[in-house]
Amino acid sequence: MTNNTVITSDNPLNNTQQKNLIALLDVLIPASDDELMPSAAGLDFIPYLHLHSAETIPILLQLLDHLEPQFCTLSPALRQPIVEQLSNTQAAQFRTIVMQVFACYYQTEAAQKGIGLEAGAPFPRGNDIEAGDLSLLDPVIAGDHGYRKA
Amino acid sequence: MAEDIVDVLIVGAGASGAAVAYSLADTRMRILCLEQGDWMNSSEYPSTKMDWEARQFKEYNIDPNIRSNSADYPINNDESPISVVNFNGVGGSTILYGAHFPRLHPSDFKVKSLDGVADDWPVDYDLLEPYFAHNDRMMGVSGLAGDPAYPPKQPPLPPIPLGLVGETMARGYNQLGWHWWPSDSAIISEAYEGRDKCLNLGPCMSGCAQGAKSSTDINYWPAAIRAGVELKTRCRVREVTLNEQGMANGVIYYDEDGLEQFQRAEVVIMACNGVGTPRILLNSQSNLFPEGIANSTGLVGKNLMFHPVGFVQGLFDEDLQSHKGPQACCILSKQFYETDPQRDFVRGYNMQVSRGAGPVGTALQGYASGNIPWGSKHHAAFKKRFDHVAALAILCEDLPELHNQVTLDPELVDADGIPAPKINYQISENTQKMLKHGLARGEEVMRAAGATEVFSGGPVRPAGWHLLGTARMGNDPKTSVVNNWGRSHDVKNLFIVDGSIFVTAGGLNPTSTIQALSLYIADSIKKNLANLFD
Repeated sequence: MTNNTVITSDNPLNNTQQKNLIALLDVLIPASDDELMPSAAGLDFIPYLHLHSAETIPILLQLLDHLEPQFCTLSPALRQPIVEQLSNTQAAQFRTIVMQVFACYYQTEAAQKGIGLEAGAPFPRGNDIEAGDLSLLDPVIAGDHGYRKA
Repeated sequence: MAEDIVDVLIVGAGASGAAVAYSLADTRMRILCLEQGDWMNSSEYPSTKMDWEARQFKEYNIDPNIRSNSADYPINNDESPISVVNFNGVGGSTILYGAHFPRLHPSDFKVKSLDGVADDWPVDYDLLEPYFAHNDRMMGVSGLAGDPAYPPKQPPLPPIPLGLVGETMARGYNQLGWHWWPSDSAIISEAYEGRDKCLNLGPCMSGCAQGAKSSTDINYWPAAIRAGVELKTRCRVREVTLNEQGMANGVIYYDEDGLEQFQRAEVVIMACNGVGTPRILLNSQSNLFPEGIANSTGLVGKNLMFHPVGFVQGLFDEDLQSHKGPQACCILSKQFYETDPQRDFVRGYNMQVSRGAGPVGTALQGYASGNIPWGSKHHAAFKKRFDHVAALAILCEDLPELHNQVTLDPELVDADGIPAPKINYQISENTQKMLKHGLARGEEVMRAAGATEVFSGGPVRPAGWHLLGTARMGNDPKTSVVNNWGRSHDVKNLFIVDGSIFVTAGGLNPTSTIQALSLYIADSIKKNLANLFD
């Protein structure tokens, strides 16, 4: 998701934090084995937070401070236990950021297409849904469901 | 118009204010409505944007304390397990409501006579029936005639689609032999009165970009304004003022520039909902009414009723396409609505089947419940749940209790310095038993419908939509705030038309009944114009 109102200088992360963030995002939502679903590493996460949840940026920075600078250089298998530990030691902050990552991820065109949706705003496209079989009401009509007289 | 006098001054442009303004317009009286919010622009609603789900969490959040729009006032919910949700703007909470549109049942007006609790209303279903029907036509209500749980009625439009969620749940209800029926919905299923039909967008509860959901800014208000009613927005009323004879003579409000203004009026009608109205009344203090205008009984703000809500979710193997269609409206069940002496509680609850969440909602709910983790198992867990969840809301009847109340917060104020409302509320033992029963029955019907996993909980905290009972109506001036046609017992040119005047709450969404009452009160004012203040 691109946000044209956020400029580069709005990025509060230094280079190491930026690389660790990308690595962290890839652990939180890796690409699916069938490659239909992309990794969260490609998210424009900071612009997203600026737009929708600026108050969580300091929380993200705190979380990233708990990662060693070389975190981003580790293999995915080695990153996993580190993030597990982070989820336990910094539980509240970690949950906050995971929720923002999930929210950002499922509003991207790639993720929406990956789960089988036509990407984009619901309006004006809309959706077709089944009218439904109203003969299912037959037993209700035949049953004893009268209203209480007052 | 600041020093000018109007015949009728309405405070609040939501569900009830719009209906009373429209109905009174044919008197050709000079009618002015003051609304603290502004007109909505449907092209800005979240569903017009790619990031619609995120926008629901912030600027269109149902909680005014989170939303914090300039039109909102803060609410102190610290002493309540349920927080107030609302919207402030032309249309009021109909902008964000789910548009479930059931009427109260005949029995709801006779609770004392039938069940020996609370009080009977001074009006009944038969009296209100023509107003219900008129309101259904004005709003544009979709539904199906023949529901045995009601006296005969004819919604003007056919029901909204059941979808796979509705059909699946209907089979579950049938298996148990329980009542269900397509919801009466204030959502137009066909083109109606110049409005296009519902597109099944999904996110009704952040404003309807299609204009198919019936909020009063797109039906009642255009009609009222065409008929000559004036509506001024961004005007926040601080208090109702009195003259030396003890009659209301206007209101003091802050205009859009924050400047204090006085508007004179012959008649004042309050339409600010069950929290906003007592807030202003309590803040309208004078020598005659040191505890707030129209409050000689001390009942203004007391007897606050919500509808405590429980939720039940079921996971199905089948793809239910559950993110599609009107979010809150599908089918409902009145199987447990009426009192049954076999149960350990009186009165009952409504079961409302709703659709599933969008992708973000699914992911966040799944994460919160521990069902959708981060990491390598994320995608499989998400796929298992997205579009595979049906949901039920259990909407419990609350009974009036004096200790559940709205007061003025001693410290918290809004942007204009007006004291904020403070909510003191506890869920009664009766309601807790009802909720427990409802959650168990909800799980039962989910399993009967084929759910492989069931998850339930409640009471839901941000569910204080229905704000009722804080200026109750009644025939006895010692036990009620307004009479049987909404006129203050104390101040005979002051009327209340919103949910404040409910005597009891029923166990279902109140907007239909609020608006029917508003139309009825407007009609009563018209019939009594010659001796309105006698």
